[in-house]
Amino acid sequence: MKKHKRDVIISYGWSFPSLILIALMVVFPIFYTAYISLTNMNVYHWFDFAVVGLDNYFRALFVFDSGFLSALFATIVWTVVNMVLQLIIAFVLVSLLNIQKLKLRKIYKTLLMFPWAMPGYVSILLWKTGMFNTQFGLLNQWMKKLGYEAVRWLSNDISAFICCTVVNLWLALPFMIMIMDGAMQSIDRSYYESAILDGADWLKRTRYITIPAIAPIISPAVIITVFTTFKQFDVVYLLTQQAGAKTGSGFHTILTYTYENAFITNNYGYSSAISIIIFILLLVLSARYQMKEGDR
Amino acid sequence: MKRLLSIFLCICLLLSLSACGEQTLGAAQAKKLVIWHDKEDAVIAALEKYLTSATPDLEIVFEKKSSLTDSLKLVGNDPSAAPDMFIFAHDKIGVFAEMGILAPIKPLLEEDSLANYIPMTLDAATYKETLYQLPLYFETLLFMYNRRYMQKEEVPSTTDDLLTYMKNNTGRGRYGFVEQHSTAYYFAGWIHGFGGSIIDENGVPFPNAKAVKDALNYHSQFVALMPGETEYNTVNTLFLEGKADSTIGGPWMVSSARAAGIDLGIAPMPTVNATGKALAPYSGIQGIYVLNYAAKHKTEAVKKLLAALTDPAIGIDLAMASGCAPANSLCYDDERVAKDELVQSMKATAEIAVPMPNIPEMDVMWTVVGNLLTDVNMSGKDINESFDAALAQANQLIDAMK
Repeated sequence: MKKHKRDVIISYGWSFPSLILIALMVVFPIFYTAYISLTNMNVYHWFDFAVVGLDNYFRALFVFDSGFLSALFATIVWTVVNMVLQLIIAFVLVSLLNIQKLKLRKIYKTLLMFPWAMPGYVSILLWKTGMFNTQFGLLNQWMKKLGYEAVRWLSNDISAFICCTVVNLWLALPFMIMIMDGAMQSIDRSYYESAILDGADWLKRTRYITIPAIAPIISPAVIITVFTTFKQFDVVYLLTQQAGAKTGSGFHTILTYTYENAFITNNYGYSSAISIIIFILLLVLSARYQMKEGDR
Repeated sequence: MKRLLSIFLCICLLLSLSACGEQTLGAAQAKKLVIWHDKEDAVIAALEKYLTSATPDLEIVFEKKSSLTDSLKLVGNDPSAAPDMFIFAHDKIGVFAEMGILAPIKPLLEEDSLANYIPMTLDAATYKETLYQLPLYFETLLFMYNRRYMQKEEVPSTTDDLLTYMKNNTGRGRYGFVEQHSTAYYFAGWIHGFGGSIIDENGVPFPNAKAVKDALNYHSQFVALMPGETEYNTVNTLFLEGKADSTIGGPWMVSSARAAGIDLGIAPMPTVNATGKALAPYSGIQGIYVLNYAAKHKTEAVKKLLAALTDPAIGIDLAMASGCAPANSLCYDDERVAKDELVQSMKATAEIAVPMPNIPEMDVMWTVVGNLLTDVNMSGKDINESFDAALAQANQLIDAMK
């Protein structure tokens, strides 16, 4: 018992430097943001700010207007569509990669990981100018060759949503493919051999062996991806809402919407209050998911 | 091995924490000045070369920062992370002065050293009657054309002439004129041409609503003859590839146009027929700022550097290096500057140009006007409704700043 206690203390002792780093880099910013949200820290009170209570939270409610609600709805649709497509496409690609006796498997895998190796910012702008640009983009070059008029791909809500989804899938698929591939390779081959002997076809093998076997392994990756997709900023902002390069689309996620309606004010108290509300929103969603996981 | 690594990490952590403490400056440190900037290489090379010979006892380090203003908001008052000085346009003066990170410039300068500066540059660098920036040069947008396609007699003197030219020369993948039509910085010239402004000196958005609506309405005819997407890269590429006959662009386009083999012509801004006023773009005064800590603890080094920068020689060097117009009027006595077509065009346009507002409220107006232009020009929304929405957003954002 004494030895166990000593082991625990020693383990915490060794982990202490990393725990301090985690506290400084993850926990401290959250608490500090919560503290700032209770102050009047803005351009006019940058260093001499004072606690003003919940004022910023009351003001923040004005940002949560009809525009915010439609952005919230768009964000939920965006998250669901992206997650469903990511899971389906990753599953199909990984299934193809795991076909026995597939030649050049490693080359395909490397190619599929390629988007991950490129900085997101560069990838998004390359898609914007290289693919979707009305004048020089590849899509419109093809349209011209086929005798059609040039299309402004990013100018209306629906086509901008589709373009953003394509780019987001391009950026996010390598992660899902890697996790799913690892999960699929960990399934014991003997299950499939028995199933084949029992006469199970591909669909049945997938439904009764593959999916149940990979589900617990990929679920942390799915949770991470749900949150990264929900709080997506870069793809939507850089493709359609970037200052000086707006395309005319009204598609906003909650983060791009709040950026335009709060964060640009340089009012850190007010912006922090909005961040905390969004943080709580995500926390509630996360807690609901965790509870469902726990029930299982 | 793991133990050694852990001990090493602990030491690193302790060292980095101890580095946060207050430090006293040594003699070498007091002579070292770190300057942040976001300028093109030619400008910094000219400054470095000049300062190396003009202030040999100072160690001056230029550091390029892509998100300079955001970084300053975070570390502006932290001597361990902030620079001593920075070079930036004058439009952020209000924000940084209100934050309290800027030192007034006049006490750091010798008397009468600003006597020959162009008044417009000093006015723009002044916020609440205090000068916070030593102007180095100014820049503004210019009407540029490709002499191969637009002949001298075709250069429009009025906006109606420009519209006629566009109608006659746009089509089949070619454009008579392109500009970033839905960007606030570029559209400001049209608003000024109609007698309006984006914000007044008291922070009131769109003080002359009619002028803005008239400008939007008239400008929409031009937008119809330009490509749908007109962000920076598209406009530049169209002009540099010879697919657009004329454009409104900054001096930063000149070197790339010359490198692309464009026979570049620069003309005065066309006059708006309805008002008789020329399109008056914003001008930006680029200059050097001093942060409070450096002004207090490195006073002598800062004074020496600022004194060197008030010499006309650096203005001439900068004009020759990148075609920018010096803030010190003595520079224009130099024969090379007097003969430089680009610098002289800039100086002429600057006489009608409007310095960008330097009040903090302007920070949110870039987004508001950008949204208004996108709604009208790219989404085809009604001008009155879009304007009302933009005004409401402007008031809400300005209110939210406080």
